[in-house]
This record gives sequence, C-alpha cells and structure tokens, in this order.
Amino acid sequence: MYEEPYKWVEAVGNRRTYLDEQFKEGAPVVGVTCERGILLMTMSKGTPKLYEIYDRLALGGMGHPADLEKLRFNLLEMAHVEGFNRSASDVTGGRLVKYGMAPAIKQAFEEVFKAPFIVKILLAELGQKAGKDGFLTINYDGTFEEKSQYAVLAATSAVEQKMAGYLREQSLASLADAVGAAIRTWAVGDQAQRRALDEGEGHDEARTSPDQLATDTETLYAYLRRCIAEKTVECALLDRHVQGPSKYRALGVDELKTLLPNELSPSLS
Amino acid sequence: MGMQSDFYQLLKGQGYVFGVLGQAARGQELTTATTILAFKYRDGVLVAGDRRATAGNMVMYDRTDKVLEIDRHSVMAIAGVPATAYEMARILEHSFKYFRRTQLQELSFEGKLRALSKLLKDNVPAALAGTGAVVPIFAGYDFEQEAAKIYFYDILGAEFEGVDYAVSGSGSPTIRGILHYVNTWGEQPLSAMLEEQATVQALRLLTSAAEFDSATGGVNREAGLYPVIKFITASGVRTMPDAQLKPLFEAKVSRHV
Repeated sequence: MYEEPYKWVEAVGNRRTYLDEQFKEGAPVVGVTCERGILLMTMSKGTPKLYEIYDRLALGGMGHPADLEKLRFNLLEMAHVEGFNRSASDVTGGRLVKYGMAPAIKQAFEEVFKAPFIVKILLAELGQKAGKDGFLTINYDGTFEEKSQYAVLAATSAVEQKMAGYLREQSLASLADAVGAAIRTWAVGDQAQRRALDEGEGHDEARTSPDQLATDTETLYAYLRRCIAEKTVECALLDRHVQGPSKYRALGVDELKTLLPNELSPSLS
Repeated sequence: MGMQSDFYQLLKGQGYVFGVLGQAARGQELTTATTILAFKYRDGVLVAGDRRATAGNMVMYDRTDKVLEIDRHSVMAIAGVPATAYEMARILEHSFKYFRRTQLQELSFEGKLRALSKLLKDNVPAALAGTGAVVPIFAGYDFEQEAAKIYFYDILGAEFEGVDYAVSGSGSPTIRGILHYVNTWGEQPLSAMLEEQATVQALRLLTSAAEFDSATGGVNREAGLYPVIKFITASGVRTMPDAQLKPLFEAKVSRHV
C-alpha cells in the first residue's frame, strides 16, 4: 500500500503525529556548560535518563526506556570499540552522531513497516579546553543539531524554544549557578508541557500564549517543590576537574543539596 | 538479547584476536620489563615498579611505566613482555569502563581479577612460544570487603592472593627474601607502616633489586628518574610525584648505598 509516493509521505506524516503524542508526558532534559564542565539535568520516575557514554561524553534522553536503552548500548559499543582500536581522542560526539546514531534513527523512522525509535537524544561532549564544550541533539526522525553553551530536549520544538529563551537570560558561571539555572529551565519546560496537556490544545499552546506561563523565580520554585516531592532529581556532571580520563560523575543528594538554590534544597530527601 | 556487558567478547565478535601463537625468531631478543612489587601498608596497598625495559643485554628504555592504572581503584603492575602487557591493560581498562557504563555499576573486584585471568589464559600459547609471557600483579580496592587487596598470577592465568605482599619480575627473588625478613622481624610489619615509611621501603627494595639484577633500573638522579609508586585506598589510586620521591630518596635511601 506504500508503493505510491504520496501514501508513503502520508504514512511518514502519521508517524510524526504518533511520535509527537508519545513525548507529551516526557520529562525535559537540560544541558548547560559552566566553568566546572557540563551539567545535565532532568527529573525522572524510576528509570534514569542520564548516562555516561565515554570518557568525555554523556547522554540525556526522552522517550521509551527500551528504545533509549537500545540506542545507548549502540553508542557505548561504537564508542568503546573505536576508543580501543584507535584512541580516546578519536571518540567524538560528532562522529558518533553523524555517522552512527542519526542515520540509524532516520532509517528506523522512514521504514514505515517497522517500529520507529521513540527517542530524543542529547549528547554532551566535554572539550579538551574550556570553551570547546558542545552538545548534539537528535530528534526522533534522525535530524540533528550542534549547539554550544546549552541545549534542551522537550516534547515540542515550541517548548524547547521557550526553555532556551529562559536559559539565555541566566548566569551559568559557577556549578551552583548552572544547577539553579538548569532546574528552573526544566520547570519552564515541564510547566509548558503540562499546560499543553491540561488544555488539550496541542503542541503550539506554549508558543501562542506565553503570558499564561509565569517564569518568575518564585512561581518556578513552587512548581519545582511539588515536582521534587514526586520525582527524583537527576544531575550528572562532565567534570573537567576530575582526575583521570573518565570525567562523568552523577551528583549525589548531599552534593545537590549544597548546589541547589536555598528555596529548593530542603525539599530534597 | 544481544546486549552484552563483556567488552572482550564484543571485540572477539568483531574479529579481534588476542594472544596470537608465534615462535620467537632464533637470536631475536624480546623486550621485557623487570621488578615490580606490592605490599599492604597502614592505609591500603602500595604498588611500585622500576623503569627499565631490556632486550637481552640491551637496555631498551629507562622510562617505562610498569605500574598501570586500569581504573580509579585498580592497578596492574607488569613484568614480562611489555607489548602483550600493555595490550592486556588496554583491554582491561576498556572492559571495566564498558561494564560500568553498560550495567550502571562497577565490576566487582572478583570480576576484575577474573578478567585478567582470562586474558592470561588466552595468552598461554604466545607465552609458551616465548613471544608474550606476562606475569602481572593486580591490586585494587575491594568495596565488598572494604579492603585494598593484592593478587599475583602465573603465566597460565592462576591467581594467588598476596596476603601481605607480592613480587614479580627478574629482580623479584632478591626482594622477596627482604620483604619476608622485614615483615617478620623488622621493627614493625609492613601493614603498620605509614605512607612515607612504606615509600622509603619500596625505594630501598627496588634499589636492592637493581643492585643484583641488571635488568632492573635503579634510581638515576642525574636524569631525575625515580621508580613509579602508587597507592590504592578507598578514595582511589594516587601516584607519588617525583618531587616527593627525590627528597625521600636522598634522605633515607642514598646514604645507605
């Protein structure tokens, strides 16, 4: 039935609608650079969403846990075999995404008889020098973008734009600044997604009525306190001050308490 | 499912072959590396090695690092053919990282010991053919037992725990006796020594090995070459910098030789 081109295009269109639906309730992911390295932040219920990939690479993901797991293993396999056969310096986010991950995701997306990957991926790469840090994001259809300074994943591009707009105004100098900015940006995104869900007006809601969503700090903290009570705050750092080749470390509760804004740290248990 | 946690198997699946059988050519001297030691001191385990690599009578290199950090809590010290030993270290390093990153937990200390044993077993044909014998010491922090531990191996892959100490390499017969003497009748057992005392002991042991074994390099003060000494504790692996070894050597070792 898909031999005719327009039917294939229609099938791919249906696939987009289906996939957009799948991310509506997903937790956004925020990645920011700071003096200390790269911070990734999200909130999860049970299944973690932030992972170590290689010495200087970390991954944040949205979507179906099984799909994320499959792609995570593919990335780990590619990175480690390449690092062993050549060197750690040859394992770069750009090579993994452009020549490995993105083509595989695109192929799965366009093969309309098979199930697509229900994932959005954010890959953070700590540069050898400060200022050389970067991000790559991959959408469920295999399109990827390179970014510096910060990158976000959310249910829709409108929400992502809103988060990026908020993040642009924030100070990201110290690690504590980065943690504060990341968690508030996460709240901006999650709040926008919730509003879109509640009102059932589709993906453009956050863009069409920005005034309805308060982004003042107090409102965001109140929202975050409710989220923290129900979910686990996940923060991981590619820490350029860590000794040895592996720079990834998850931030534990005790360390997070010292880094979170005073308004939020008592809520963390 | 095909999601495996064993990096070595993954490599093999991609056609990688380790421990290829070969025969040493007649008259061809292979590069080897010599004295390594490890012993328990008050805070954990000290691992040390000289810096010399030789091929027959020829000194190939005097800056060899034989005490290799495999991960944040484990060290492999190598005696034997460096080419094979470095390859083993690279496989182990990637295997431990791969396990941690895929399984989201550290490989157990026992698992790490077993991984090295498997590599040695696969290397037996090359070791017996005379092209790749490696006799390593593996030391690391065992979080289940909450203690730093030492293991040594034979070329077939059997692992043995060094309860107090372990030695390997051509200079090891010299220092094995000294270690036994010091540990049994010295002023204090090795395990009671403070870090500085343990460091001085290691420097003296390697200097003694160099005295009687031409394949072990001693300290070369003119070139600023000191042995490699690492400490393993619960907080990880730490290397004693040359800047700290130099004054210790001059004050506590050189006046005795």
